[in-house]
Amino acid sequence: MKKYEITIGIECHVQLATKTKLFSEVDNDARGKSPNSCVSPVDYALPGMLPRLNKAAVEMAVTAGLALNSTINLKSRFDRKHYFYPDLPKGYQITQLYSPIIGPGYVELPSGTKVRIEHAHLEEDAGKLTHFDTYSLVDLNRAGTPLIEIVSMPDIHSAEDARDYCKELWRLMTYSGVCLGDLYNGNMRFDVNISLAEPGAEKLGTRAEIKNLNSFRSVEHAVAYEYERQSKLLDRGEKVKQETRGFSDATGKTTSQRSKEESQDYRYMPEPDLPPLNLPESLVEEKKKSLPLLPSDYRRMFGGLIPENILEILLDYPSLMQKLAEVDKKFATKVANLFSSVLLAEENASLLNDPLPSKDQLEDLISMQENGDLSSTAVKSVFLKFFDKEMHFKSTETIAKELNLIQENDTDTLEKIVEDVVSDPACEKAVADFKSGSEKVLGFLVGQVMKASHGKANPATVNKILREKLK
Amino acid sequence: MKITREDIDHLAELSNFSLEDAEKESLKGDLENIIQYISELSNLDTDGISPTFQVFEMENVWRDDEILAQDADRESLLALTKEEEDHQIKIPKVL
Repeated sequence: MKKYEITIGIECHVQLATKTKLFSEVDNDARGKSPNSCVSPVDYALPGMLPRLNKAAVEMAVTAGLALNSTINLKSRFDRKHYFYPDLPKGYQITQLYSPIIGPGYVELPSGTKVRIEHAHLEEDAGKLTHFDTYSLVDLNRAGTPLIEIVSMPDIHSAEDARDYCKELWRLMTYSGVCLGDLYNGNMRFDVNISLAEPGAEKLGTRAEIKNLNSFRSVEHAVAYEYERQSKLLDRGEKVKQETRGFSDATGKTTSQRSKEESQDYRYMPEPDLPPLNLPESLVEEKKKSLPLLPSDYRRMFGGLIPENILEILLDYPSLMQKLAEVDKKFATKVANLFSSVLLAEENASLLNDPLPSKDQLEDLISMQENGDLSSTAVKSVFLKFFDKEMHFKSTETIAKELNLIQENDTDTLEKIVEDVVSDPACEKAVADFKSGSEKVLGFLVGQVMKASHGKANPATVNKILREKLK
Repeated sequence: MKITREDIDHLAELSNFSLEDAEKESLKGDLENIIQYISELSNLDTDGISPTFQVFEMENVWRDDEILAQDADRESLLALTKEEEDHQIKIPKVL
């Protein structure tokens, strides 16, 4: 048992996958685009510019809220949060402090831990700064990107649960279709509040906030590092400072960025340029109906069919789960197996960027295996060919035939091959050995038949025929 | 309400203003007068009245999610900056 109990709350910024920004009609997907090429006068805050709210962002926020099991606040409104920083030309960020669109909800982790959501609100992202020796550069492509900030209750008590919570949020946001989920490009960022206290203590300890983590692994490592750092301070009878800290992936350590002893004064005020929202109940109902399948739906759907550890791995790949849900349930176990053991094998990682096989291709593949038309090795070969640009649109049977992989099941044909093999003088000794009771030479004989059939004979049938013949 | 020199310094910092001493002195008086004037409102009985955030009674003012050509582009943005580099706004180093 650890000496201190750790308590963690997480704030997560999720970039919404709208076509345009939250308050201006410019391209919201700046990935790979030249700096400052996706900007409008609203984003760089020319005097007199007015924000024009993107309806799709509001709708996505509703969808996100439903995915978080949250109440949707039909009435919500925007506020200004003032601060001066070069990534924010207006001098204030438009956010929702007092009346957020998403109310209390919860996220259930695979471990069973339930993390309550305090609320989530809509706001705009800031621009990107790149720092050099003596100067910094400002790119406003990201300024005005719609975000929802999801604020959890302090319900997390281990580094693993912190990681799993972030991962589950990633799944919820990608499965529900509101976020592209590209962590490398900052689509989701995590601020993690960590405090320690003696077990059973009534009050939480002083917390440190680790800002801007962008991978599940850094969340886990930052929490583990903070536990060590804070427990050493407490062991020595020192105090933990309330402050913002940064985490370096390279060193695995957190370092102090700024002290939060005097709380910042943001002079929040109601945003006068944006009338409040009063959503019709029908909009929420519509979003409820069109909510895509979420991880919990897939767990229910495939529980008992797919082993839990494999299911949790596959859940990291929304497109694979969507495909699995398409195929007939009776094939799900085997298709899941192909996904996890072949497609997700390291050497095939590049295939994940290619279009997936169709429902029919996959179902036919498993049927052909079950009928004995394809050996398990052949199944893998055909499966991999589905990703080949030349083969992608061909039927499973066509591919199997083109690759000459259809198993020989015809008993007459196989019997003839078996006869040839057992009468071959080279096999004389093996045949004699088997007849005098040596079971293990049967493998050798099956091998010889496989060879004679150019690998196409169905080994199970060959086995049976051999036993008959050599009785 | 009494406005102190510290209040003025704090507000100046929040607003990113640098003020001369004389300005601070006169602002102190101005602010006190303004707050005095506005605080008349505190005499009203507002029990049971929900706060007003806007007076136009509009709601759900939004637009479709469609990309539109903009009147001003990157060049006109960068023309407003003192210095640029690599299509970005160059500023003194911040942390």
